[in-house]
Amino acid sequence: MIIIIGAGPAGLAAAEAASRSGAEVALIDSASKKGGQYWRHRNSVKGYKSDRADQLFSKIESASSVTHISDATVWSIETQGGLYRVNYLQGGQESSLTAEKLIIATGAYDRSLPFPGWDLPGSMTPGAAQSLLKGHDLLPGKRIIVAGTGPFLLPVATGLAESGAEIVGLYEANNPLRWLLSVHALLLNPSKFLELVYYAKLLRRSKIAPRFNQSVTRFSDGLATISGVNSRLQIGKKKSQTLSADVVAVGWGFLPDLTLGGIVGCAQKVDSDGTTIFEVDDQQRSSVRNIWIAGEATGIGGADLSLIEGEIAGLSATGQSIRSTLRLNRIRKQIFANALKRSYPVKDGWQSWLEENTTVCRCEEVKMSEICESVTELGAEDSRTAKLFTRAGMGLCQGRVCSRNVSEIVAGLTHCPITDGERIALSNRPIASPISLGLLGDGKK
Amino acid sequence: MTNQISFTFNGKEFTCESGQSIAAALIASDNRQLRTTRFENEPRSIFCGIGICFDCVLVVDGVANQRSCLIEAKQGMNVESTP
Repeated sequence: MIIIIGAGPAGLAAAEAASRSGAEVALIDSASKKGGQYWRHRNSVKGYKSDRADQLFSKIESASSVTHISDATVWSIETQGGLYRVNYLQGGQESSLTAEKLIIATGAYDRSLPFPGWDLPGSMTPGAAQSLLKGHDLLPGKRIIVAGTGPFLLPVATGLAESGAEIVGLYEANNPLRWLLSVHALLLNPSKFLELVYYAKLLRRSKIAPRFNQSVTRFSDGLATISGVNSRLQIGKKKSQTLSADVVAVGWGFLPDLTLGGIVGCAQKVDSDGTTIFEVDDQQRSSVRNIWIAGEATGIGGADLSLIEGEIAGLSATGQSIRSTLRLNRIRKQIFANALKRSYPVKDGWQSWLEENTTVCRCEEVKMSEICESVTELGAEDSRTAKLFTRAGMGLCQGRVCSRNVSEIVAGLTHCPITDGERIALSNRPIASPISLGLLGDGKK
Repeated sequence: MTNQISFTFNGKEFTCESGQSIAAALIASDNRQLRTTRFENEPRSIFCGIGICFDCVLVVDGVANQRSCLIEAKQGMNVESTP
């Protein structure tokens, strides 16, 4: 049996590919419906359409060898004599499943940067705005500002507008001219160019004029401050403006969730944009025997790349041959993914937005001044020490939101660049999801 | 026509469509603030929306630290900001 963790594009493609061999597949996902964050939908939402999703869903539903285990949060994986025991929580109960092979496809989440007021109600990630809209048929607010960087801001802003929200502004912090560095990537991926044309049309229809080199740098009491930023994301000298908005949806690309692969010891590396990812070979095999990893956890690249990687992982895990067109397509999509990293970099100038009392760690309510103090007064020389002094990154989210930001702040204060070892250490967490000791005790009886 | 269900949040009754998460149901009823923080008493609401950030944690039927963005609101549920 093969256990696939994650039922987004990569996990679904892996399950479908593996099922072609007749192998028994268990597809575990924390949501109640298949599709992951990318293909999230309620049946009642109008306009939902994705041929690729529909095809994959119907193939998987008709494959009798695939079992979908929904609403199941994997909290740990144990190795037992060459087998993997996947422990998960489902409906308040602890259960487990054991298999010889694992495919990890746990996806990614929005990267957030702190700014004064980012912790107040009304400030959220673009992913949260999207999930409320697509998953719950709910507009997160009436007057919304979408900001940050990356192409994901486009579907979020246009989706909200099409559903009736007033988009007060769409602010892309980077300059679109950066794409001139990656013309080859667009030529190799004409479908992406068509996608851009599609969103340009939607923006025009909704009367949204995107602004560049600007971002939300403060939010409070329904007012957002929009400041010009330079190519390093430092606040410029030009006067900022204040706009009224009940929601600011600000996101800075994505961070992969590396927790589960980290638990079983899959080797990691640092990507060109500083993101920690898993090392995999050309068949998506991790450094650990019989564990494959596909999708965003092997490098942020979007759904197209995830689908290909998932298919390759599913084929490889079941000993089927991998067509060379599939391999070539992966290279093509990887070139596009690298172009995205070049076009939407998150440079460390964002720290110029922070004020002394800006919250950096949301869980433990650690302020910027406390991080500074840990370096200047207490002598912390790296983010690990700063974390021990301040508790930044030690709350319920286990540093998923702030640890990379804290390490960049500490690097800025100490003038010591972050080492790859430090970046990798930051993404490792012993337990994937909190579990009560009582439940754990009962589950193991 | 979807089913309507009702639950209580901090003693007040809320109605929502079945299938909505607790957080979505509360925001839909113009109740954006979900809790206050333990040190500074700052208001908090939904942030990541997908169960990563733990900012929307509430006490659901007596069980603390439940991510209200992930848990579906059910008929008769008792939801509170603090234990």
